[in-house]
Amino acid sequence: MKRILLVLLSLVVVTFAVTFSAGAGPKKDGRPDGGSLSYGEYGRPATLDPITSNEMISLRLTELIFNGLVGINEKQEIVPELAEKWEHSPDGRTYTFYLRKDVTWHPREGEVPKPFTAEDVIFTYKIMMHPRTITPLKVRYEFIESVEKVDDYTVKFTLKRPILNALAKFSFKIIPKHGPTNPVYLTRDDQFVQNPIGTGPYILKNITAEREIVLVANDNYFKGRPHIDRFIAKPFADQNIMTQALMFNAIDMIVLVNPRDIPEIQGDKRFILQPYNALSYSFFGYNVRNPFLADKRVRKAFTYAVNRQEMLDSFFNGQGTIISGPFAPGSWAYNLDVQPLPFDPQKAIALLQEAGFTKGADGFMQKDGKTLALSLKVPIEKESEAVKRVVLAFKNYLKNIGVDVEVEFKEWQAWKEDVFLEHDFDIVFASWVFDDSADISSLFHSGEIGPWKNNFGGYSNPEVDSLINESKLTLDHEKRRTINRKLHAILADESPYTFLWTLTNYAAYNKKVRRVAIHPYKFFSYADEWFIDEKDQK
Amino acid sequence: MKKFVFFFLLCILTAVSAHSADDAASRAMKLFERRHYAEAVVALRADLPSVEQGRQGAANLTLGMIYLKNAELHRELYRESLSVHLDYLKKVVAAPGKDRSRFADLYMGEALLETGKITDALTHLEKFAADTSVQQKYRTIAKASIGLGLFLQNDKQKAEETWAGLDASDPEITMSLAAVYSKAGLKDKNAVALAEEGLADLKKSGSAPTMQDIKNVLTVYATTGLSDKGLDLIKRADLKAFSFQESLGRTKVINFYDPSLLNDLSGLYLQASIASLEKATGDAKLRDTANYYLGEAYALSGNIDQSARATASFISSPQMPQHYRDKAAVRQAANQYQKGRKSYAIATWNDLAKKKPGDPDLLAEILLECDRLKVDCPTILEKAIDSIEEGEGKGFSTLNIAVGRYYLGRKDYAKAVSYIEAGRDKGNKNKIESNDPLMLVSLADAYYRTKEFSEALEIYFEMSKQFPEVRQIQEALQGIYATEHKSAGDVKIF
Repeated sequence: MKRILLVLLSLVVVTFAVTFSAGAGPKKDGRPDGGSLSYGEYGRPATLDPITSNEMISLRLTELIFNGLVGINEKQEIVPELAEKWEHSPDGRTYTFYLRKDVTWHPREGEVPKPFTAEDVIFTYKIMMHPRTITPLKVRYEFIESVEKVDDYTVKFTLKRPILNALAKFSFKIIPKHGPTNPVYLTRDDQFVQNPIGTGPYILKNITAEREIVLVANDNYFKGRPHIDRFIAKPFADQNIMTQALMFNAIDMIVLVNPRDIPEIQGDKRFILQPYNALSYSFFGYNVRNPFLADKRVRKAFTYAVNRQEMLDSFFNGQGTIISGPFAPGSWAYNLDVQPLPFDPQKAIALLQEAGFTKGADGFMQKDGKTLALSLKVPIEKESEAVKRVVLAFKNYLKNIGVDVEVEFKEWQAWKEDVFLEHDFDIVFASWVFDDSADISSLFHSGEIGPWKNNFGGYSNPEVDSLINESKLTLDHEKRRTINRKLHAILADESPYTFLWTLTNYAAYNKKVRRVAIHPYKFFSYADEWFIDEKDQK
Repeated sequence: MKKFVFFFLLCILTAVSAHSADDAASRAMKLFERRHYAEAVVALRADLPSVEQGRQGAANLTLGMIYLKNAELHRELYRESLSVHLDYLKKVVAAPGKDRSRFADLYMGEALLETGKITDALTHLEKFAADTSVQQKYRTIAKASIGLGLFLQNDKQKAEETWAGLDASDPEITMSLAAVYSKAGLKDKNAVALAEEGLADLKKSGSAPTMQDIKNVLTVYATTGLSDKGLDLIKRADLKAFSFQESLGRTKVINFYDPSLLNDLSGLYLQASIASLEKATGDAKLRDTANYYLGEAYALSGNIDQSARATASFISSPQMPQHYRDKAAVRQAANQYQKGRKSYAIATWNDLAKKKPGDPDLLAEILLECDRLKVDCPTILEKAIDSIEEGEGKGFSTLNIAVGRYYLGRKDYAKAVSYIEAGRDKGNKNKIESNDPLMLVSLADAYYRTKEFSEALEIYFEMSKQFPEVRQIQEALQGIYATEHKSAGDVKIF
């Protein structure tokens, strides 16, 4: 028996013991339950499930509704969530997760809460990877070869190869097998994406006529009932109004403060401003399916033509940093040797001429009898005053070098369809937010060209593909770092985007909300611990 | 900062009534206010010989202040860099695989020597020196450092034997030896001549000095008090350059830096500060003001007696503003603390805080001294927190920062972040024109300790535009972050 035990132990590298077992019912931390927290969002989410969404507004909400097998605590350590422990084989190819047995799904009206089991984990993986499921997640999980149910509360994942940081990848959110109407694949037409149930600290109650999303505390939450009774997400089309709403106590929190309002909020003792994500940036992205934009010289000319520092100073009070490539300066992958291209309209014109363009009688550049006229599509949720000025300035900068840009603001969903599905655009203005993995594969790998994929501009470069692949295969951190520096340099030169800036990202909240810790990417990961003193509960 | 500069400007204006607005000192002062220390020094140092005699005192005072601030900043950067590098190099040394770095042992050994962990340092250095796959030159450089380690362990004979056995025909080895002799304090080795000979030989051979060479020569200048030569060399150097680049295979490159460079910069700036401020005391109208800063500079250099004399002179000058005399009294108590009169010092601080309960800057000054000397000051801390709770606005920013730094010194990183953030000008959160770089380094450290790497990296990214030498911290921090991040690889539109 002892020998068997020894053999078993030698096969298992890590076994993580359960470090908490709060169980359902109130938390026993002495902090009060009750109160309501309204927070301002800069738009409405397209979907509320963790699979089909690719935007931050949804991500924040799904963080309240769902859980992963593992989570990340405030010290940035991987901790148990739906899995209470796990082990992996010495070769790093199999991961076995032992699931909690005290977790139930949010009940639908009139239903008895159903237990969470291994079937749900397998279901989530399979539906996520189904070819007809619309999700940006597939590329991230292609390293998994298979998943199998060992028993009702044990699942085993086999990987195609060992990878760096594998455990963290199992933080993807689990959805219930009995959730989606279509049990095979998930699309945005499924009622589940608008009315999801999860295992998380908050249950979706309803969406009001004003499109406010109301969540209520899950009394049966396996980590203990969250302290705050209700979370309400309020969409604001205008960021200036959002700040005023905070000032007049109409909301308690803003997830992303308008940079211009930071001094006003900082000067008010009622509020706390907290920086929380430095890994985002804005850009103008080009559709290289347009023959004009397929020429790197043209894209680069556009970058030379725009005075990014002037835009940043004028429209965002200089509260940000000009970037040179596909990573944010707060990332480990940013190549410090690559400098942003300077503002140089003469150089821009020279590059266009080199690409075969000549100035026509109307002042616009032409080639082969065609005017260099392009469409710029901007999502309406981004229709803040600052963004309007940015796109207008961009139009003017390009006009100065003989490029005709027509700006079109589109409703969020329509914009996404034009950009991600139809690829019906020449230029887009948008921003990406990254977690700290610095994974740009979904943005620039040619395998990610296609409907609803993130390489919407159709950028393809075999060298970039090869480096991305090599980066994914290596188990050497320094090697991966070197590859990313190289990718940065290539993409800065290739200019599939005009990389703009990373802005100061601050959340602001009323001091009445206590013990606020914010996850730098997912935001609400620790919200079940937040509380409001009884005297401050409305 | 504005208050700090205002006091000084008042003194300058008193000393030089005519055309002060457009003179070199005023221009430098404006750059100094914006924390563009290097530019301020360049502007004023070049003009110094042409400044008329009657205005030399003001120019020297300005220069002394700028150097002092820069010395303080680089002292902090050095501490931070050393700490981050040790964490980073530990990871590189521990990395398995055929592409394992060999030079990590050399740099780990050097960093450990800096921290005084000689036995551990020697283990790494000896491992590197014994690696026959490494080019002989670098193994010899490691042996020079092994000699220093032995010397610091009081095994002087063995150290001499080690050094004597080295072939110093390569100028880079000559400069390395000069640096270790300087660090060992061996005056008879004539390190200056050796370092300059190395530089000259390199020039003759048509090679440009590497950052490693420059660092070695700066070490020699810093330890022998040749600040002018050191400053000239700094001006010509690319301070962001790595000391060595190791290529391992087709797609793996590691850049290595010397944290000690920052210590040398700090030392040189401090020497230059003291020299300039001492000259400024020759101007009767500026003597008291210069003594205020001299007291601070001497304290930073560890010369407590001279600090006490200069500070006492300032305190006894009745025409100096009481607010600054109180601040000087705080420092004077710190001097007493260092001379062993600990109870007296703590009692003095408590008295000052009691007498001026509404002065947040004074409380901040006391807390910063407590932090510098690693003294527990619970009474002052309590007063400071109460004061912050009651107060509002920018007037409390310095106190918030001091409380944050106090917590940072006590490894309470969450509180450190919270207080320093409260003192940060968030409208321009990483701009050194709006936020003291010294504070930003503390905040970056607190963020690093709480594993909020991107916040720390953002700070250094902005700071590197004025202080390119922080590149070494950025790269080491990026290296740690690359191994420690825990996320799934997500990216979303927003």
